[in-house]
Amino acid sequence: MRQLIVKRLAQTIPMLFFVSIVCFAMIKLAPGDPVMSFVTPNMHAEDIERIRHSLGLDQPAYVQYVQWLKQLLSGNLGYSLINHQPVLDQIIDRLPATAGLMACAIGLAVILAIPLGLVAGANRNRWSDKLINLVTYIGISVPLFWLAILLIYLFAIKLHWLPSMGMRTIGVNSAADVLKHGILPCFVLAFGFLAVYVRYIRSSTIGQLREEYVLIQKAFGSSRYTILFRHVLKHVLLPIITLLGMSMGDLVTGAIVTETVFTWPGIGSLGMTAVRGMDYPVLMGITLFSSVLLILGNLLADIAYSFADPRIKTMR
Amino acid sequence: MVMSKKWSTAIILVLLTALITACGSSSNKTTPSDNSGQQTETSAPKDGGNLIIGVGADPVILNPNYAGDRVSLTIDQSLYAPLFQVNNGKKTYYLADSLTASEDSMTYTLKLKSGLTWHDGQPLTADDVVFTINSILDEKQNSMFRGNLMIGGKPIEAKKIDDLTVEFKMPQAAPAFEATLVQLTPIPKHIFENEANIEKSTKNNTPVGSGPFKFKEYKTGEYVTLERFDNYFGGKPHLDSVTYRIAKDTNAANLALQNGELNINYVSPQDAPTIQGTGNFDLMPYSEGRLSYILINEKSDLGVLNKKEVRQALGYALNREELITAAYLSPEYADPAHSFLTPDTLFHTNDVATFDNDAAKAKELFQQAGVTKLRFVVKSGDKTQESIALYVQQKLKEVGVAVEIQSIDASALNSKVYGGTSTDFDLTVAGYIMGFDPDAYSILFTTDNSSNYSHYSNKQVDELFQKGAGEADAAKRGELYTQAQQLVAEDAAIYPIAYTKTIVAVDKRYGGVEEAVLKPVVIFEDLSKIYLK
Repeated sequence: MRQLIVKRLAQTIPMLFFVSIVCFAMIKLAPGDPVMSFVTPNMHAEDIERIRHSLGLDQPAYVQYVQWLKQLLSGNLGYSLINHQPVLDQIIDRLPATAGLMACAIGLAVILAIPLGLVAGANRNRWSDKLINLVTYIGISVPLFWLAILLIYLFAIKLHWLPSMGMRTIGVNSAADVLKHGILPCFVLAFGFLAVYVRYIRSSTIGQLREEYVLIQKAFGSSRYTILFRHVLKHVLLPIITLLGMSMGDLVTGAIVTETVFTWPGIGSLGMTAVRGMDYPVLMGITLFSSVLLILGNLLADIAYSFADPRIKTMR
Repeated sequence: MVMSKKWSTAIILVLLTALITACGSSSNKTTPSDNSGQQTETSAPKDGGNLIIGVGADPVILNPNYAGDRVSLTIDQSLYAPLFQVNNGKKTYYLADSLTASEDSMTYTLKLKSGLTWHDGQPLTADDVVFTINSILDEKQNSMFRGNLMIGGKPIEAKKIDDLTVEFKMPQAAPAFEATLVQLTPIPKHIFENEANIEKSTKNNTPVGSGPFKFKEYKTGEYVTLERFDNYFGGKPHLDSVTYRIAKDTNAANLALQNGELNINYVSPQDAPTIQGTGNFDLMPYSEGRLSYILINEKSDLGVLNKKEVRQALGYALNREELITAAYLSPEYADPAHSFLTPDTLFHTNDVATFDNDAAKAKELFQQAGVTKLRFVVKSGDKTQESIALYVQQKLKEVGVAVEIQSIDASALNSKVYGGTSTDFDLTVAGYIMGFDPDAYSILFTTDNSSNYSHYSNKQVDELFQKGAGEADAAKRGELYTQAQQLVAEDAAIYPIAYTKTIVAVDKRYGGVEEAVLKPVVIFEDLSKIYLK
């Protein structure tokens, strides 16, 4: 196991290097000029050029990349081109908001998806399966920003039950207030995840129900409930572990649109601002952070596999 | 089976929407929540309360020497008092007590009010004004306003005469200096004097200003809160605090406004009826001193847009009133524009040549030049730009010119249009707010100047701007700029559409709006006058 962890962590470095090159190249190949995003008509040419120089944007792209890499190796993710604040500080500042929101959304989605997926798989083509399928189709097809606006309109404007924006009421600093603000964005995100998770669990359940151990349990007279939730569930956990591992990257960047619509002060809205201003140090920082989490998530998923199904460890 | 699933999805969506709409209509009868902007009958000013203003982004930097974005400028207006302000031709002194120019416009003397203090209690004196000017001029400090303080390539000189007096020496006659000085806001010397890089200083995170409200808290991505500064020289502000709440999504901001989570916010003409319908807001359209125009790229590889007849043909093909209605929905939100100078600018005249409403003439001129196709670039998602482009497309089709609309994202558009080298587009929509002195416009219309995005060139116009910049006699200056307006209009260098207005929705529970004075870019000139009724 230790060998596996060391090997996978060693693979992380070239992977991140590759990600950083691709990310940097994509930003630089995109049409646009970061300086132009804050130039106003009454700025003089010499001021514009001086700003370009001070940001290092008058250097060739490869020089800019090497300089960024040098900073990174010394533990510095650089400074935002727009507000000149350290990128790492900005990410750390906003990480709790995004991670908290995404963790709640993913947790809620998993809690709901397991029973729904199992029930749908066990009742294939019956009305309960069709109903659950319908919900998942809606979750997959409905744009989340549209759902968000609709829910704000209903629960904030018309019913006045929940706030429409932000993470807290101004001047109020309580966990309950943050939770109240988080309900709508959490639900919107969870709805999106739920649809995907249910589909996976359903198809996995259908596959498992054909296995011999299920027939044996039936022959022993085990109840449907026992078969599903005691025996099938164990096997169905594997795709969930994979999905959760892959969702680790989403903890940082998965809520860009939802955060923008709800004015949730997380990394997603920071990323959106960076995209608009072509703020490459911030974009690179967010991408790297997300990549590290994704890689670690997959590693954790692999480790979790061996606990969920010891045969996998043996096969390695 | 697949079809039935699709149909089921569609039916559920319709039902969901219907349910929400039904809830909406039924709950119209409910009373608004406590914070949703109920009207009160009393209107006498009283002290206390908080005001929440919606802003579209985080502030870039809370230091007026570096702020160029609308949000930072709006917040800075409350944090940092200006020396003086000019709004629609009316000058109001704030930190300054007077500003006098010598007859030859070579020397300006600024007198400060006595007893001024910064938010931390330190005295605000001539030293702070001189420090501000010198730090802007210091190349190492990297202020984006340095070019404004260079006249004829040489820096102006600021000299302290006494604690309350500063003398500005111009390198040459500079009658437009007042329009430069109006943009400058002193920053505290005692805070920044030892900072090697003021722009990146962490002291900008806890700004110390001199305005009616002092910094209290900034939660990134959420809000900036300022609290009342009791020693404000203009009198103690009425409100306890002002919060600038960040709402990046326009739809969400409108919903928050309706829900009473914002008290003041910009509103687009399209959303104005909805906000008005709540009965909780006064909608206030006001002029921003902004011109919206069609930019004609004379550098286009078509090779004909440098001919004024072709540019005039564009004007002949259009109807300005129709265009304004298409773009801004109502003439209430935009005044027809003819001159490149906005109405709040000195020597503005709208009595200049226009080329409108003559399709036959347009067709003839386009045919003579062999123009059959034009490329119109617009910012994707910008409804106003898209409406203008669609209108132009429709009108030019009538005169035999096909318009290809290219919708591109903001970064790409900025680079293409304002980068100065693109030849692969012909038309776009642009706008500017340049201030009250016509000298500021030279950067837009003189040959090869940095913001001359049309690449327009007319030696006579260059000469008129040059003379105007150094002419101390106001009457003579007026003549020069009137001529410049005539020439630019005759050359059809741009197609001026409208002097646009901004609409601000103000919660009816708040008073003092007139005294606070609506001001371009920053919403209010002096927020200390706003009170809760």
